[in-house]
Amino acid sequence: MNIGRAIFKGGVHPEYRKELTASLAVTTPPVPQKVVIPLQQHIGAPCEPLVEVGDLVKTGQKIGQSESFVSAPVHASISGQVTAIGLYNHPLGRKITAITIEGDGQDEWDEQANSVENPDDRSPEELRKLIREAGIVGMGGATFPAHVKLSPPDGKMIDTVIINGAECEPYLTADHRLMLEKPEEIIFGLEVIMKVLGAGRGIVGIEDNKPDAIRVMKQVAEGKPGISIVPLETKYPQGAEKMLIQVTTRRRVPSGGLPLDVGVVNHNTGTAVAIADAIQKGKPLIERVVTVTGEGVRRPANLMVRVGTLVNELLDFCGGLKEETRKLVIGGPMMGLAQPTTDLPVIKGTSGLVALTVEDVELSESGSCIRCARCVEACPINLVPTFIAQAAEHEYFSRAEKLHVTDCIECGCCAYVCPARIPLTQWIRIAKAEVLARRKG
Amino acid sequence: MPGQDIQLAISSSPHLRSQETVPSAMKDVLIALLPVTLVSIYMYRFYAVFLIAVCMISAVLFELLFRKVMKKQATLYDCSALVTGLLLALCLRPGTSWWTAVLAAFFAVGIAKELMGGLGWNRFNPALFGLVAVTLLAPLYVGANPSFAPLRQYFGPLDVITQATPLALIKQGAFEQLSLSQMLIASPGGALGETSALALIIGGAYLLYKKQIRWHIPVSMIGTILVIATFWGNPLANIAAGIPLYHIFAGGVLLGAFFMATDWVTSPVTTKGQVIFGIAIGVLVMLFRKALGPTEGVAFSILIMNAFVPMIDRLTRRPKFGELPVKKEAVVPTKPSVSKST
Repeated sequence: MNIGRAIFKGGVHPEYRKELTASLAVTTPPVPQKVVIPLQQHIGAPCEPLVEVGDLVKTGQKIGQSESFVSAPVHASISGQVTAIGLYNHPLGRKITAITIEGDGQDEWDEQANSVENPDDRSPEELRKLIREAGIVGMGGATFPAHVKLSPPDGKMIDTVIINGAECEPYLTADHRLMLEKPEEIIFGLEVIMKVLGAGRGIVGIEDNKPDAIRVMKQVAEGKPGISIVPLETKYPQGAEKMLIQVTTRRRVPSGGLPLDVGVVNHNTGTAVAIADAIQKGKPLIERVVTVTGEGVRRPANLMVRVGTLVNELLDFCGGLKEETRKLVIGGPMMGLAQPTTDLPVIKGTSGLVALTVEDVELSESGSCIRCARCVEACPINLVPTFIAQAAEHEYFSRAEKLHVTDCIECGCCAYVCPARIPLTQWIRIAKAEVLARRKG
Repeated sequence: MPGQDIQLAISSSPHLRSQETVPSAMKDVLIALLPVTLVSIYMYRFYAVFLIAVCMISAVLFELLFRKVMKKQATLYDCSALVTGLLLALCLRPGTSWWTAVLAAFFAVGIAKELMGGLGWNRFNPALFGLVAVTLLAPLYVGANPSFAPLRQYFGPLDVITQATPLALIKQGAFEQLSLSQMLIASPGGALGETSALALIIGGAYLLYKKQIRWHIPVSMIGTILVIATFWGNPLANIAAGIPLYHIFAGGVLLGAFFMATDWVTSPVTTKGQVIFGIAIGVLVMLFRKALGPTEGVAFSILIMNAFVPMIDRLTRRPKFGELPVKKEAVVPTKPSVSKST
């Protein structure tokens, strides 16, 4: 126990259930026979395809890109032939144009993609370009293109880079395994990010329910200038950007502001590893660790999965879903998206597949608010969720705006604690979207 | 493939929910009321059993009746009628007639709760509303027909109820008749729920432990009463006589502080609001006790402040996250940043 450890107000303690996979080393399933690679796996402009149906592609070859700055290219994750370019199911819930590749079983790498030349004496500008070309996005699930975060606008000084190893979402252990198995890569990635931004301080924040990860990371970070490993209280949403910044730097991101407004840039551990792979090995982002877990999965596992692998194939590899499965969530159970189908691809931001069973999935009706104020206490961002939800329910959006609805980080704590089972987060999301839409005009 | 035919449910996140529900919270309140209920049964025997039964049964029946008439789904499963019924019984004095108890339950559950829209929509604490309604109406119906007056239940001799309440004793300056330790552990006099300060404190502690209530309202309310009771008059003499503690243990202060003022529905939602609410109730309780009659001061104080809850909620709006104060010292020392080389 760390005395005087920084904490944030609010938050909840859901059952973490990480023991299902926490001790399982990352394994690599066979290279898939077919992948479906959506042209949009990031926040920002979608990519245009660079290949046509019938083209032969190699692993790591760039197959989609956009001229827009806020975008990230996509790469073939297996070698083979492009068999279709068209709309396909996407974890975001709508169909998005995707490139389907039938594998040739060779997994032949694109030579250009594998080239390495003196990573150490690259300039920040070159590093940024390499990261962009590798198609790296925020791998915690937000999928914001990494190079954009590495290009702060003029006049914004970044002095601190935080690597998010909190992994506060229940069930997920992908980041935990990365910290145990690839600590050097994480620290290297952090150093690259610090170099690109000219930041003197690097922090890796890890929840204290992962003492092994804290130990390993401390060993590797030993003697690295400016880098410290910070154990964090185990509490959801510890890994939320604003919480992480507050507890590690005592700075508060202003309303409507970004971390860079307080001199901080946050990246996920997975992103740091992807950056290390891109710089050290010239390897684009074509695979990631996915935690396939939940009581509904027969053989939970941490898997190194090629981007574009179909979810149903991944589930089959883990023994399939049990009968009592009621929900399949992509991402963590607090903020992830429930999927109506398993016929959809793993994308760059897919940190986990969580199969929840009858016992976890409650489909009860909601009652009226009893004003117990549990949501008020749980909200890490100092809102009064029930008042905002009431405003949303009555379409009284100007009131929702006055209640700072746009500050909401949609962590789900309010709905988690609500004893009346009011879908508070959902109402707030509706109000937030409406208020933001009105602001745009 | 196994599990091919599984119907996958979709809904908005979060996909996990805490175990706590409205019925489970209500059951915790019932559990917390158990100690004082048992003490009151020990003290008043059938008088207590009878009143508790009448209040709880009629509270449930009025809820069913009102929801039926208003063509709403029955919501007995939330157990709120049982809580209101029990709280109401604990507010009544032994020997209260059955029809007074039924009338109080009618006002509590029927008028204060169901007519306002049901659980969550009531502005006033139902049990206290019922209590105050029958207290205020008593002269009316007793005056209209004297035959109402003696309709008391008789379960055998019960000398204790003729004893003056501790509050009346304080008022008369004769409080040494009751020792503080007696009042703390258990003593007859007053309403069912006023028989044991200790039992109420145990119940309150249970609610705090189970996080059903927060400490802010009870502490600010009790603290305010302590301070005013100490400084009203000669502080040293007051403390020497133990007057501040008498004020806490006597009357409905503990029942009010732990079970009534903390009623979720009728108290403010923000921490600051809860503190203001508690302090205001404490001030009102002492005003009632010092300036007015010694009856139902706590009930009136809480009901008056119930009316101000929307205003308190408005005035104590929480500041934006980004504008909250932060502690100055950094957790990880900031190293001077190297020059940006782009």
